[in-house]
Amino acid sequence: MQEYSSQAAYDRGEAVCVIGAGASGLIAVKNLRENGFEVDCYERDTVLGGLWNPQNQHSPLYPNTHLVTSRSQTEIPDFPMPDDWPDYPSAAQMLTYLTSYAKHFGLSEHIWYGSEISHIEPVEGSRFEVVVKPAAGNAARRLRYAAVVIATGHHWEPNLPSYPGQDQYRGTVLHSSQLKDASRLRGKNVLVVGGGNSGVDIACEAAVNAAGCVHSVRRGSWHLPKYLGGEPADFALARIGARPKFLRRFLTDRLVKGPRRLAARMGIDVPDHGPAVEEPVRNGRYLEHVGDGSIRRRGEVARFDGLDVAFADGTEMRPDLVVFATGYRPKITCVSPRLLGVEDGSPFPRLLARMFSPKQETLAVVGLVEPGVGVLPIVHWQTHAIAHWLEVRRGDPERAVNFKTQVVSESAQSAAEPDGTSPRHQLAVDAEEYLASLGRIIDTLEQEPAK
Amino acid sequence: MSLTAWARRARTPEPAPVAREIAYLEPADLFDSDIKDDPEASPVLCCTGDPAGAAAFNASWLKRIASTGRYAGAVSVRGQGGTPAAEGGLDARAHDVVQAAVTVPRQAVLIGHREGAAWAALAAGRYPAAGLVLVSPRQFPKQPPKPVGGPPVLLVVSESESQSKEVQSVTAAYGVAPLTFAGGPDDVFKGAAADGLLDAILSWLAPKN
Ligand SMILES: Cc1cc2nc3c(=O)[nH]c(=O)nc-3n(C[C@H](O)[C@H](O)[C@H](O)COP(=O)(O)OP(=O)(O)OC[C@H]3O[C@@H](n4cnc5c(N)ncnc54)[C@H](O)[C@@H]3O)c2cc1C
Ligand SMILES: NC(=O)c1ccc[n+]([C@@H]2O[C@H](COP(=O)([O-])OP(=O)(O)OC[C@H]3O[C@@H](n4cnc5c(N)ncnc54)[C@H](OP(=O)(O)O)[C@@H]3O)[C@@H](O)[C@H]2O)c1
Repeated sequence: MQEYSSQAAYDRGEAVCVIGAGASGLIAVKNLRENGFEVDCYERDTVLGGLWNPQNQHSPLYPNTHLVTSRSQTEIPDFPMPDDWPDYPSAAQMLTYLTSYAKHFGLSEHIWYGSEISHIEPVEGSRFEVVVKPAAGNAARRLRYAAVVIATGHHWEPNLPSYPGQDQYRGTVLHSSQLKDASRLRGKNVLVVGGGNSGVDIACEAAVNAAGCVHSVRRGSWHLPKYLGGEPADFALARIGARPKFLRRFLTDRLVKGPRRLAARMGIDVPDHGPAVEEPVRNGRYLEHVGDGSIRRRGEVARFDGLDVAFADGTEMRPDLVVFATGYRPKITCVSPRLLGVEDGSPFPRLLARMFSPKQETLAVVGLVEPGVGVLPIVHWQTHAIAHWLEVRRGDPERAVNFKTQVVSESAQSAAEPDGTSPRHQLAVDAEEYLASLGRIIDTLEQEPAK
Repeated sequence: MSLTAWARRARTPEPAPVAREIAYLEPADLFDSDIKDDPEASPVLCCTGDPAGAAAFNASWLKRIASTGRYAGAVSVRGQGGTPAAEGGLDARAHDVVQAAVTVPRQAVLIGHREGAAWAALAAGRYPAAGLVLVSPRQFPKQPPKPVGGPPVLLVVSESESQSKEVQSVTAAYGVAPLTFAGGPDDVFKGAAADGLLDAILSWLAPKN
């Protein structure tokens, strides 16, 4: 009998394992290597770039995806995008950018493609055994690493609603991630469910391509155009974030007054809190389509009935195509939930400072935040902190203990319960506060060791 | 680069984009069968305060550098050589150097001459250069940023400059002793001085990068 799995693990010494070669994984590899670590990165797909690569199976890109965050707020801090690119680059440009980042820093030679990590397990105290899922006909490979960084993203597992009668519904239903091609909308009566960025972007695609578009949204949210006061909206808002506190509210209100009134005119309840608290929808075309009737807004769906859909307000329609743009849920299956601080079966990890495992010092997760601003810069600073942390831990155990105390207290600060409006907001962070917290963590780690 | 420095910059309007003139030579362009592209050797990107910009390096630098198996490039910042003038001071010029650096195929060594040394130093505070070479720095910032990623730094000055205040402060900022080359700080592009200087730089580059 062959016992593949009992094969001895290959020991990679002080090397670090990074799981996933999306934007977050690439940034992690680059920053760990810059800090002197050997790195092996495993990617289950055959391409890099994660969700920005349409060749990645299950990529959630939909027709005409563009960034919703502007170039200067999205680019990696030490590798800017070309400054002759538009303010809001396309998904294809984002992939070009990530590919040139990988090439520039020679990352590809550290990536193992077609290698899904099926399991990781702490061994020998702080080390990890990593199991690479066997490709057809091969044995599973086992390797040991000094640390593991999980960068598997959180937009792979569709979050699907279940309405009464939905199982018997005889029309076509797609999740937003399955709508690859705008031609699927052509000539159809389309119902889009979900008011996040995906839902709103797809409703706009339907407005110009479909025969009709109904957009079902169960609550109000902030709708910002891509530009405010002549500048990219996120840039304009971030600049206000740098002003003295007493001025911020006033300046923000002034900047978003117009969009707020427009949303109200379209019958949208704008939340009381400002647009920084939860991720705003960033699409300037949407309200115009609502205004010209090419998108008709409805409240929540009540039930499905044969070929019909009934809404909570009592109205009904018969769509040719239903698109559920109801988001995603995080799903990290390669590690015991306990190590991610989860005891109750929730899909949402509870990490220290949103990145460190509360149980194992050498395990971190990156990119598992929804900051409402560009994600890549945040991941850059996260991985910067993780690389420094692993360095300090290796060389100066005493400082490491002090540091841990700090991270725990930082986490307590930012754990101020998420607004609780919707489960999806459990990954939300206030970018301003979270970056400040990352800054403090990095400062502590970079201090010269006390002699 | 510190997080604070990045946050400040990300909230400052970006300098106006310009179409930058970039001159470059790759080892294969030399049509010399003895010269092979060395995948281990970092590419090099040069800039100078000389108004000629990138073209200044055409006389001998690019060829000499490429003959060591490296990609050799030079950029003209705004208002220099073939790059149109545009608003912006020191910072915008550093931006021009970073923008040129990210178009180089791999992580590049930045070489700055005169005012170009100041731009390269600022650029190295934002972009993880593979190395930073400062040749006869002029108008150098008093407190240059810490280079990102901790690249090796080389300071090369002409004999006549070696005692100057400016050179001493650069020496102190980076904790590196200057190498000296024979000749004046301005005849670095061709002739014997240029050859000596390039020898020094290339042999410094050779083992590390
Ligand atoms: C439609 C859409 C638009 C977006 N627009 C913006 C925007 O405008 N601005 C912005 O900042 N952010 C945006 N985002 C957020 C986006 O999540 C980030 O920009 C970024 O791409 C996240 O990268 P990542 O590497 O964390 O995740 P991913 O890109 O999801 O990459 C994860 C990688 O891990 C691999 N993987 C997963 N599991 C395993 C395993 N077990 N073993 C090995 N490999 C594995 C996957 O194949 C994938 O390649 C958008 C997201 C979506 C869905
Ligand atoms: N162009 C871009 O750059 C772009 C485009 C799309 C997405 N993104 C990013 O990708 C991430 C995911 O975006 P997303 O729009 O796909 O998802 P999302 O932001 O999670 O939004 C999901 C939407 O569906 C609704 N919803 C969820 N469950 C529902 C249910 N059971 N019944 C009815 N409605 C339900 C939500 O309403 P509640 O709010 O009430 O829960 C919300 O309006 C976000 O970070 C987003 O910014 C970026």
